[in-house]
Amino acid sequence: QLDRGCALHTAARAGLSSVPTRDVPAERPRAVFHTSESDPAKHTEQHEGRLYSIPLEEVKAVFPHGLPHRFQQQIQTFHEARVMVRRPALELLAYLRSSNLAHPAVRYVIYGERGTGKTMTLCHVVHYCWRQGWLVLHVPDAHLWVKNCKELLQSSYNKDRLDQPLQASVWLKNFKTSNERFLREMKTQKKYTWGKRESTEEGRPLGEVVEQGLARVRSASDAVGVLLREVRLQSHRGSCRLLVAVDSVNALWGQTTLRREDKSPVSPEELTLVHNLRKMLRNDWSGGAIVTTLSQTGSLFKPSSAYTPHELLGKEGFDALDPFVPIPVGNYSAKEFESCYGYYLERKWLQHEKAHTEDGKAELQFLSGSNPRQLDRLAGPL
Amino acid sequence: TLRLICTTTVVQRKNVGASGPEKYTEAFIKKQIEEFNLGKRHLANMMGEDPETFTQEDIDRAIAYLFPSGLFDKQARPMMKHPTEVFPEQRKIQWGEDGRPFHFLFYTGKQSYYSLMHETYEKFLNVQKHQDQLIAQDLPLQKEKRNLAGSRWLTKIELEEMLLEKLSDDDYSRFIQLLEKLVALPCADIEENYIQKFSKEVPVQLQKVVIEPLQYDEQGVAFSTGEGKRKTARATAVVYDNGTGKITVNGTDVLHYFPVLQDREQLLFPFQFLGRIGKHDMVCTVSGGGRSAQAGAIRLASAKALRSFVTEKEVEFMRQAGLLTVDPRVKERKKPGQEGSRRKFTWKKR
Repeated sequence: QLDRGCALHTAARAGLSSVPTRDVPAERPRAVFHTSESDPAKHTEQHEGRLYSIPLEEVKAVFPHGLPHRFQQQIQTFHEARVMVRRPALELLAYLRSSNLAHPAVRYVIYGERGTGKTMTLCHVVHYCWRQGWLVLHVPDAHLWVKNCKELLQSSYNKDRLDQPLQASVWLKNFKTSNERFLREMKTQKKYTWGKRESTEEGRPLGEVVEQGLARVRSASDAVGVLLREVRLQSHRGSCRLLVAVDSVNALWGQTTLRREDKSPVSPEELTLVHNLRKMLRNDWSGGAIVTTLSQTGSLFKPSSAYTPHELLGKEGFDALDPFVPIPVGNYSAKEFESCYGYYLERKWLQHEKAHTEDGKAELQFLSGSNPRQLDRLAGPL
Repeated sequence: TLRLICTTTVVQRKNVGASGPEKYTEAFIKKQIEEFNLGKRHLANMMGEDPETFTQEDIDRAIAYLFPSGLFDKQARPMMKHPTEVFPEQRKIQWGEDGRPFHFLFYTGKQSYYSLMHETYEKFLNVQKHQDQLIAQDLPLQKEKRNLAGSRWLTKIELEEMLLEKLSDDDYSRFIQLLEKLVALPCADIEENYIQKFSKEVPVQLQKVVIEPLQYDEQGVAFSTGEGKRKTARATAVVYDNGTGKITVNGTDVLHYFPVLQDREQLLFPFQFLGRIGKHDMVCTVSGGGRSAQAGAIRLASAKALRSFVTEKEVEFMRQAGLLTVDPRVKERKKPGQEGSRRKFTWKKR
């Protein structure tokens, strides 16, 4: 079923206009834009434009916090998670497969216009690495750490910095669900003192650090910092492969909307979480890869037409991330548009009678401009 | 001295000439004509042109230049016209110094109408006599049919103007019936001159708009241009054939220029109507107006450009769908004494 190539795509398209029923012949139209290959490791150019499904238990394990909100709603509606295999993702997977882990970590920056699928590409890569057994450090949206924070504590570790207990504890919880196995196996390298009475000895499993952070919310940010450091050292030594996946990385070098009690603005370096994350993004360690996404949607003080790395990262961010491999993500190609449209049709998401016709399809393509987000929003009310 | 005179539209005006006895004496009208000519010469001198060859068009242009007005109604603007156009024709006094009326039908009340009916009936009898003569001589009756399709009879108001007298609907219909009967006779060609006084040419219904042929650029791709406007926005569109449905506005993609779905739907409408959504590319430039106005302007421009690609029948369909008409709605002016163009100030009882 997998190896049906584009020939079937064009041949079966003629039969696509009939509504598929639930018996055996329905398998053929289904296979045109679906593929039952749910292991991203085996995705090749053959599968480009097709949707593959992730089993729901895996979704809960891999993506406790990573998926875009609308996609989560779609999963709930359709009871299945289908991700499209697109060319930028395939490119990234090829690079990851061929990367040499002894070299310092390569940085990849996924960029593109609004709503073209950068976060979904990132999730695809995360799923692949998780399947391969890598340790995945997924920061869902770095913008959450630089805005709308209710509590800011002065850090006990370093007087200048500010802690964010809430965000740190939320992230630790999610990290725990996705990487239980590693937390049991990996051991700390050093002794860490949390306060007057609590400390973690050397050689204890990392899970304890996480528990400590969750239990004592005040020291959650420090726990995060410790975790990042440990994980970096371990992967540098070679005991595991590490993927650092950060969404909306331009938040780390921009401005924040947070202010101290005396109304003076806070710059990102003064936040513990941001500081530690920046240390992770430096490519002074080896044994893994860093994949990041730029996002204008949540970014602060940036015009809405900006989408290139230079504009969104600013000079500071660009210098910090330089050198990196840029990966542009664009709108749907004709084939991808057809798969998406066919998927919506098949799941009976498009209820309008006209939406089933060729004209309706042309209209949708025109009005959405083949932009995935626009198409999703358009197809909603139909 | 120049006298600024206003007048109302032809259709709506009351036929002042038919209503009562003279309001303007002949001497008065003569004086007006003299003043008008004098004023014309003065105006020509002012504009630096030759007074001898100063036509009415020149007068209109000069007045528009000297007294610019932004009023919408052309009839409300300052104008200078010959008094015969301005003052409606008046009926002269119908009786002489001894009180005896000139016309023999004066005491019927509608003397010109009845005299007209008499004349027409006389012609009718003439034609019948001629016809009888021809039959008696066994000559073939001429059968050249008048072309009734391109002509119409005078309207009641026009007839009133001609007769300088008020008519009732009944009278008018009787007159038209008589004319029809006259025309129906085979030998009515004799009285052709008389009948033509009462019929008018109907102007061509559809203004024939020339549809430009397709132009071809270097690669051999057919394209055509169109212009459109809406409110204050002006747009030009170039529609190329063999395309994928991509649209570029002022150098940027349509998704970026029109983030709102409504504007993109407006752009989609001409293509959707013709069923050619994915077949044409478009490059347009637009300026002025707001978001909706620009979308409407581009829609009109693209519809005009698409006319070249499409059969005449489909052009007619487009015209009926309203895709080719300029939207005349513009912002209405604010009036003094009101807060906006329609909204009045809050009414306070005391």
